[in-house]
Amino acid sequence: MDAYLQSGLGALGDATRMAIFQKLANGPLAVNELAGTMTVSRPAVSQHLKILKDAGLVSDSKSGTRRIYQLNPEGIALLRAHFDQVWEKALSRLQAVAEVPETPPKGKHVKPSSNNRRSRRP
Amino acid sequence: MSNPAATIEEAVVRKNIRVKAPVQRAFSVFVEQMESWWPPEHHIGAQPFQTIFVEPRVGGRWYERDAQGTECEWGTILAWAPPHQVTFSWHLGPDWKFNPDLAKASEVEIRFTEEGPATTFIELTHSKLERHGEGYEQLKAMFESPAAWENTLTSFAAVFADKAE
Repeated sequence: MDAYLQSGLGALGDATRMAIFQKLANGPLAVNELAGTMTVSRPAVSQHLKILKDAGLVSDSKSGTRRIYQLNPEGIALLRAHFDQVWEKALSRLQAVAEVPETPPKGKHVKPSSNNRRSRRP
Repeated sequence: MSNPAATIEEAVVRKNIRVKAPVQRAFSVFVEQMESWWPPEHHIGAQPFQTIFVEPRVGGRWYERDAQGTECEWGTILAWAPPHQVTFSWHLGPDWKFNPDLAKASEVEIRFTEEGPATTFIELTHSKLERHGEGYEQLKAMFESPAAWENTLTSFAAVFADKAE
């Protein structure tokens, strides 16, 4: 459980989803089993599970006629890896640009004046 | 877990970088010249962006515009405290598609700390990533395609090769 929390899986915006998530952290469960331990309706549990599944935070599998839900340890890790790479690259490029002494804007940055033009050095 | 709240962390990415530039300059480059440093392959319009705009106010738009004048939204300014902080809502899933639903948007907070007259420490926090669930499948496919990241990393390396003395 702690490993999941440290990997960033913990803070789900919704209290019910957080509760479901924590129950699944103890092991795979079917919808009925989850709903039986909670105050929200079974359809509500199903809806939350769908959101968690769409987010890649849980995965499901069939066991006979039942559908079993469990945590997906890869989901948030992938999201974090993706954005980590995007920002690593973006900030390195920002650094390269910011450290060049200020020069007049290049031609491609000069825009015709318009109402929604933002402030910019002349 | 005696105190879950203390150990629970958000689905968040934290980055920082130290820039040899005054805080005003670092902030200005970030919000006013975004097209000069944003990785060009990460555009959401059909065409590459020519300019990226940050409207300098809370509630302002964050958007790109291509050479034909077509605009694509990126997000909204949630906090504006130049030259020390700007926070955006981030509506782009890993598939780089815009989703206007604020409930599906993550948040990017950037803080600029003046460490000296010509040194700025930039801290970036991209939080609430779990809200981008719908892009998960595309993201997974992307990561499973070796060529995808290789190409962007190669072009990244080229930028620095150009600058190398």
